[in-house]
Amino acid sequence: MEDGMSDVTLDEVRKRAQAAGLVLREDRLEMVRRLLADALAPLRKTDSRALQPVEPAVAFEASGGAADGGR
Amino acid sequence: MAGDDLCYAGIGELGRRFRARDVTPVELTTALLRRIEALDPTLHAFVTVTAERALADAKAAEAAIARGDTRPLLGVPVGYKDLYATRGVPTTAGSALLEHWIPDADATCVTRLQDAGCVMLGKLITHEFAWGIQTPGHRFPPARNPWRLDCIPGGSSSGSGAALAAGLCAGALGSDTGGSIRGPASFSGIVGLKPTYGRCSRAGVVTLSWTLDHTGPMARTVEDCAHLLQALAGHDPLDPASSRAPVADYVAPLGRPIRDLAIGVPSRDFFLDGADPEVVAAFEAALAVLRELGAEVRDVAIPHIWDAPSFMVIMASEAFAYHERDLRERPELYGDLLRERLMHGGLYTGAEYVQAMRLRERLRREMLDVLRTVDLLATPTSPRPAPTFTAAYDTSVGFPRSNMPPFNLGGLPALALPCGFSSDGLPISLQLAGRPFDEATVLRGGHAYERATEWHRRIAALGARHGPQDPGARRAPAEA
Repeated sequence: MEDGMSDVTLDEVRKRAQAAGLVLREDRLEMVRRLLADALAPLRKTDSRALQPVEPAVAFEASGGAADGGR
Repeated sequence: MAGDDLCYAGIGELGRRFRARDVTPVELTTALLRRIEALDPTLHAFVTVTAERALADAKAAEAAIARGDTRPLLGVPVGYKDLYATRGVPTTAGSALLEHWIPDADATCVTRLQDAGCVMLGKLITHEFAWGIQTPGHRFPPARNPWRLDCIPGGSSSGSGAALAAGLCAGALGSDTGGSIRGPASFSGIVGLKPTYGRCSRAGVVTLSWTLDHTGPMARTVEDCAHLLQALAGHDPLDPASSRAPVADYVAPLGRPIRDLAIGVPSRDFFLDGADPEVVAAFEAALAVLRELGAEVRDVAIPHIWDAPSFMVIMASEAFAYHERDLRERPELYGDLLRERLMHGGLYTGAEYVQAMRLRERLRREMLDVLRTVDLLATPTSPRPAPTFTAAYDTSVGFPRSNMPPFNLGGLPALALPCGFSSDGLPISLQLAGRPFDEATVLRGGHAYERATEWHRRIAALGARHGPQDPGARRAPAEA
C-alpha cells in the first residue's frame, strides 16, 4: 500500500466524526488527527491481502496456549 | 516509635523488624500516616486516606505476628490505585464521573493483598480512567513528581509512583494498558512489573481496554515487587482472561547468578528512536553491567516492530466501546483532555480494529520467536525522562512515543527499574521483558542488575527533606 495513504487530513477527521455522530472540539481536531495518523500508519502501509494468515485475536492469549495449561 | 528511615524500608526488612519487635506495624503505619499528612498536600498522591482502616489492619497484623505468623506481607503498608474497587471506600478512577461511587466489593487484587496481611493506607490518584492526566480545573489535582515538582510522575498509576518515591507506602497496585505501571516507575525512579496478560486478575478494576489491561505491583525494589506478585498471581474465576498457568516461586530465584541468561536488545531503530542522549548512555551502561554479571547480551530483530503504534487503534476502540454511552450523554463530566482522546476511539472503523488485531498477532508471534533465542529483552523504559506538566498539557505535540505498548500487545511480562539519572536529576529506567508466565526470570534479571548498582537507593528531593539522609536506610538486609 502506498505511503501517502498514511496521511490523515483534518477533513477526514471531521468526516469520521460526523459518521460516528460525535462532536469534537475544533481546537482538538489537530490532536485527534495526529492520533489517527500515527495509529493508522502501520495499517495503511500493509497490504492485508498479502499478510500471512493471522486471525484477529478474539480470545487473546499471551502464550498462544502453549504455556497456559488451559484456561 | 518508627523513625523516618523505616518509611523507605523494603518489605523483607520490615518483616524481619516486625518479628524482632524492633518496630510494630502500628508504629510504622502511624509514622506513614503522619508523613502522608505532611507531604501529600504538596504531592497529591492520595485521593483518599483510610487512616482508621489502616490502623485496624495494622493492629490485626500485630496480633498475627504475636501469634507467630510469618507471612511476608503481614503489616506491610500499601496504597491502591483508585481504579481498583474497594469495599466501602470511594473509588473514583480519577474522574468526576465516579466521584460518589462506593463499591460493595473489593477487586480481587485488593482482596489478595489484604488477605496476605497488608495494611491499606488509602487510594492513590490515577490519571482519569487510566488515560487522561488531570488538567487545571479538574475535580482532582494530578500527582506531582517527588524528584521535581514541576514534572509529572508518569501515568496512569501516577499516585502509586509518587507515593512510593516519596516514602509514603511500601508497595502499591498499578494497572498497565500501554505502560501505566512502567511509565510511573520510570519517571518516579521506582520499580514496576507488568505481569503476563492473565497472570493477575482484572476483576474489580475499572476497564480501559479489555485485551490490553494488565494489573500488577509497584514498589521500590525488585524483591518487593516479587513479594507482592507472589500474593497477587493466580487464577481468578471472576476474570474471563485469568490464566490457570501454575504460579512460580518469584522470590526464591532472586540472588541467583545470571550467567545462564541471554539478553536481547531488540530493534534499536525503534526502541532508541528519538531517545534522549542521557537515556541512551544510561541504557548502554546498564547493558555493560549485565555483561559484567555474566549475561550474554546481543542485538536481536523484531521485523514488524514498527507496527506497534497500531496499538492505539485497539486501545482507543475498546475504550470508546466502554465509555460510549457516558461520552454521548454526559460528556461534560469527563476531563478536558480525556474527552477528545476517548471520542477519537469512535472514529476507527470495524475493519481497522480487525486489521490492527491481525498486526498485533503477527507482532506477538515475532516477539515469541525472538524469545526462543534469548531469555530476556532489554530496552529503555521511556525514551526520555519525565516531562513537565506544561509539556504534558500541550496537545499540539501529539502522543509521546513509548517503548512500552509492544509488551501490552504481546501480553509479555515487563519490568521497569531505575538505571540512572539525567543531569537535571530525573530518573532513567531500564525495561526487561520475558516469555509469557516467566516473571521469575524477568525478576531475577532485574534483581541482579539492581544488586550491582545503586540507583534504587537514591531518595527523591522531596522525600529526603522529610526522611533519611542515609540512602542505606533503603537497603533491605537481603541485599546487603
